Amino acid sequence: MRTTVSWWSAAIAMVALALGIWIGAPTVTCADPNGEEHDDDKGGHVHVPAPLEYADSHAPLRIWTDPKMIARGKEIYTTTCAVCHGDAGDGKGPAGLALPLKPSSFRDRAGVAEMRDNYWFWRISEGGQVEPFKSKGSAMPPWKGTLSVEDRWAVMAYQHTFTGHQGPHVPWEHPESVAMGHDIYRMSCVGCHGAQGKGDGSVGATLSPRRAPQPRDLTSSLFKFRSTPSGQLPTTGDLVRTISEGIRSSGGPFTIGLSGYRIMPSFRHMPEEQRLELVEYVKSLNKAFWERAEIRTVEIPPRPRVTPERVARGKQLYADAECLTCHGDRGRGDGKSAPELKDDLQLPIQPTDLTRPQRFKNGRRPEDVYRTLMTGFAGTPMPSYADALEPEQAWDLVFYVLSLSQGGTK
Amino acid sequence: MIRMISVLLTALLGWSVALADEAPISGAVKSVDTVAQTVTIESTAKGKTRQVIVYLKPGARVVKFVRSTDPAKPGFVEQAVPLTDVKPGWLVSVATKHEGDKEVADLVKVVLER
Repeated sequence: MRTTVSWWSAAIAMVALALGIWIGAPTVTCADPNGEEHDDDKGGHVHVPAPLEYADSHAPLRIWTDPKMIARGKEIYTTTCAVCHGDAGDGKGPAGLALPLKPSSFRDRAGVAEMRDNYWFWRISEGGQVEPFKSKGSAMPPWKGTLSVEDRWAVMAYQHTFTGHQGPHVPWEHPESVAMGHDIYRMSCVGCHGAQGKGDGSVGATLSPRRAPQPRDLTSSLFKFRSTPSGQLPTTGDLVRTISEGIRSSGGPFTIGLSGYRIMPSFRHMPEEQRLELVEYVKSLNKAFWERAEIRTVEIPPRPRVTPERVARGKQLYADAECLTCHGDRGRGDGKSAPELKDDLQLPIQPTDLTRPQRFKNGRRPEDVYRTLMTGFAGTPMPSYADALEPEQAWDLVFYVLSLSQGGTK
Repeated sequence: MIRMISVLLTALLGWSVALADEAPISGAVKSVDTVAQTVTIESTAKGKTRQVIVYLKPGARVVKFVRSTDPAKPGFVEQAVPLTDVKPGWLVSVATKHEGDKEVADLVKVVLER
C-alpha cells in the first residue's frame, strides 16, 4: 500500500514539475548574431505583406547608407521613437517596457531581415492602428501625419543601423524577406517563367511554340500589362491584377481547353496575401523596382455614356490612328500588316481579334480597354496612344472597339 | 512526501493566480474623473476592444518619460503628471489588479501625449 502511494506521489510530482516548467518557460527563441534573440511571439514580428497602397513605397537605395539621412533619422528617432523602442533600438524604452505588446527590437537581425522596406514604411506611417496590429493591441502611433516621407525614410535608415547590416535593406541582400513569395513562385510559376524568372521554364514554350506571346522574362523591364506610361515598370497593383486575372490568349490550337482561353492561368483562388507575397518576390528579380524615383499611373477618367455618335467618332479614329492596319477593317486581327508583325524577340505575333472581347489580354471592361490604349503593350507592336488621343477621343475609340463584337454598330 | 507535493501544487496554483490577477493594459484614454480618481481606457487585445475603468489607489502616480537633463545619466527619467493634465486620446499603460469587481492601479505610465 505504501509503495503504491509512493508511486502515485512521484507521478504527481513529475506532472507538477512539468507544469511548472511549462508555465515558467520563455517563448521559443533563436539566437541572433547581433546578440538579440529572435522571438516569433513578439507583436512586432507579424510580417504580413504591405497593403497595395503601400506596396510600391520602396525606399530609395541611397537612404540606407547616406550619413545625412542616418543623422536626420537619429534626431527624429531620439525624440519620437526611443521612448518605446529604446535608445539602443532594442525595444526596451521605458514606455515600451510598460506595454503588453512589446515594441520591435531593431537589434534582432533575423527579424529585421524578414521585414521588407515597404512593410517598414507602412508600419511607421500607419503605426498599430491598422490590422492585423490593431486587433493585437499595438500601441504604435501613426506617423504619416507628422513625419514627411523623407523623414520616415530617415528613421528607417537610422533604425537599420542597429542591425549592424552594411548596405541597403533590399531583398537581394535579405532573401529571407521574400522567402514566402519564392516558395509560392517555385510551386506555381517555375514551369513557365523558369527558376530564375527569365521566362525559360520547360512548359511555357510549348504553349505557343516559336510564336509570341512567350512567358515573361521577369528580370527584364518589359511588362505588357501596366497602368503606368509606356516604357515604365508596372505598379504592384498591376502585377497583382495580372496574377489574379491571368492572361487570355488570342487563340490558336494550343489554347483549346484552357480555362477562359487563358494562356496564363488566373491565380484568383490564391489568398490575396499570398499573391502579394508572390509579387514581392517577382519584384525582387528586378532592381529597377527600387530605382524608380516616382510612379505615375495613367489616369482613367469617369466613363461617359455610350452614344451612337461616340461610336461613329470612334470608328473614324480607328481608321485615322491606323488601328485597322494591324487589327483589320472589322477588327478580326487580319490587317494587312498582321502577317509581318513581330515582337521585340523577333517572334511572330498575332494582333488581337477585337471581335472577341472575352479574349482581350488586358481585360474586356471599357476601363481595361482604355488603359490598354493609353499604355500600349511593351515589347509588342501595340503602341501607347497617350500622346495621340485626348481622353474623350480615347473613350470614343474604346466604345467602337467594344462594338466590333456586335458588328461595329452598337 | 504527500505533504511536500501538496505544498508544491499549492505554490504552483498560487503563482498562476497571482499572474492572472495582475495584467498590464494599454490604450487610449477615453475620459478622466479627477473626483472619483478614475481613468477610462479603451484597450484592444486579441481582437477585442473594451473600455476599462481604472481606479487609482490613494497616492497613485501618473508619470511620463522625458529626456534626462543630467549629462551623467543620459536616457529617460520619469516625470510626474497631475491627473488633471491627462487628456482623452493620450496613450497610457497601466498594470492593474483586481480588487473586488474593480481594476485598481497605483501607477499610470503615459506612452504618448496626443
